[in-house]
Amino acid sequence: MAGVFTVASREFSDMVRSKRFIILIIVFGLVMIIPMVTLYIQVIRMMPDMPGVPMPLGFLGMMGYMLSGTLSTFAPVMGLALGCDTISGEREKGTLKIVLAQPVFRDTVINGKFLAATSAVSLAVLITSLVTVGVSTMVMGVTPTAGEALRMALFLPFAVLFTMTYYGIAAFLSTIMKKTSQSVILGVTMWAVFSFVIPVIASLVALAIAPPRFTPGEPIDVESMRGYTTIVEAISSITPNYHFSKIGQHLLSPSAAAPTQEETPITSSLMHAGPNALVLVIVTALVFIASYIAFTRQEVR
Amino acid sequence: MENVIETSELTKVYGSGREAVTAVDRVDLKIGTGTISGILGPNGAGKTTLIMMLTGLIIPSGGSANVFGYDIVKDSLQIRRKVGLLPEGFGFYSSLTAEQNLNYVAALNEILGAERDKRVGEALEVVALEEFKDRKVGAFSRGMTQRLGIAQALIKDPELLMLDEPTAGVDPEGSRKFKDLVSRLNSERGKTVLICTHLLHEVGPLCTHVAIMNRGRFIVQGRVDEIVRRMMDEEGYRIIVEVKGDPEAFAKELEGSPGMISLEVDERNISVRASSDIRADIVKAASMKDYEILSIRRLEPSLEDMFMKELSRRR
Repeated sequence: MAGVFTVASREFSDMVRSKRFIILIIVFGLVMIIPMVTLYIQVIRMMPDMPGVPMPLGFLGMMGYMLSGTLSTFAPVMGLALGCDTISGEREKGTLKIVLAQPVFRDTVINGKFLAATSAVSLAVLITSLVTVGVSTMVMGVTPTAGEALRMALFLPFAVLFTMTYYGIAAFLSTIMKKTSQSVILGVTMWAVFSFVIPVIASLVALAIAPPRFTPGEPIDVESMRGYTTIVEAISSITPNYHFSKIGQHLLSPSAAAPTQEETPITSSLMHAGPNALVLVIVTALVFIASYIAFTRQEVR
Repeated sequence: MENVIETSELTKVYGSGREAVTAVDRVDLKIGTGTISGILGPNGAGKTTLIMMLTGLIIPSGGSANVFGYDIVKDSLQIRRKVGLLPEGFGFYSSLTAEQNLNYVAALNEILGAERDKRVGEALEVVALEEFKDRKVGAFSRGMTQRLGIAQALIKDPELLMLDEPTAGVDPEGSRKFKDLVSRLNSERGKTVLICTHLLHEVGPLCTHVAIMNRGRFIVQGRVDEIVRRMMDEEGYRIIVEVKGDPEAFAKELEGSPGMISLEVDERNISVRASSDIRADIVKAASMKDYEILSIRRLEPSLEDMFMKELSRRR
């Protein structure tokens, strides 16, 4: 176990001191703050026309969808960026040979790397979340309530888990690919497929099978819309992004937390998010195990 | 002499079916304690695969081997505790200093605290890098990196050092320093050293024992002096004579001398091939015929000569 912490501490310190990590944190922060500020400005503009609407609507009410949506696109980028050279980078630099020449098992190396990545990702998510909350409080005067802060705190580990899912995918690719460039290309392709291609395919398939019935001037047919949504969700559920978005909806959406509506209890939100979280845990565990098996079977030449 | 390494029919085949490549082919090897042994051969001969199998980093396809009595498959961790390995194409973390890199290696060997500081300091001193300990490895030259590589292998105070292509890409000065270092580690610290290299002329002279490898097999194996003697017995002795005056005339005087096989003359030297060391006879003949010998030396076959000869014999 000591070896795991030795590998993890070196890896963590290397990771958090790297330019890549600092740039990711800055971009991560901007990606979270810019939509929030944009949304806030839009709400303020609408205010004169909507005298009955309380302002602000509530921190999560404004940010819920946006936060999980933004994260579902950006967290994979962070996971891939940190994981794409996990093994291939060490192989290319020759450092893997020095490490494996020591009396350490290979699982020590891979466990240490995952531990370091989890710590670094947690740090990144925590820093950016604190900055986001800080900006919303100080600049816009939108202060989360205790309940909202708790929901946000509960949401963060899932953001870390989701980032680690992509880190695991990237780490697996970097284990089986000879070069980092190959694992980057494959990782980005997978991200694009999960984030953009599958949702589009899901919509097209749903439109073909069960198009929502829409007559101009009349309200949309709820039943047909439900059928369409069911198909979209069924297809999208093969991506980790879908499950993460669902967790975000359950924990952060306005219906779950807006002060103007009846609030869903946190335990209930967590229960609803449970199956999606379980899928993320399973996917992360699977890619970790796959990386582990691939790495331990590899020969060092 | 006790053997630190013993292999029996050790084999490694990469791939399968038509794609199969036998990198190491039924190799029997014995390395004695306290020796400097060399596994010499061209690129692709199977040297790296062999050394990696001996440290448990590549699993053999057949045969068996043990290092310090530990089985290379079952007890590879124990082997890596006792063997300092300098792998080919290794690298260090360029953003860390030399000392930080060695501290990391020490920690992986569970050497911590004051003991770690002591060993890291000693290792840096042995490889003459103590003044560069706070410099980032990214700024190191190839020769310095190579010496740091030896330092990392020394951290665990190993009884056996395995060095794979240790002078590849190193300049002549760096190479000389490396050879001095290996000699000292062997003579002063009693380390057994196993060197794998394709640079026969560079590292070969360091070795007391060699095994010349080609296409996964050993084609010559044994003590260097014994191999040289055997080759000279088979091929004859080469003696180079430099005389004052006309070498052609002196060469004619030597023709037909006992033991003489052939003679070649160039502008200054006479090159003699003989069945035995006839240098004394040549000197005697020169003094009798009033020729002044400026120099006379016996040429010993180099490892390249041995290698080329064995290679051509097998073709």
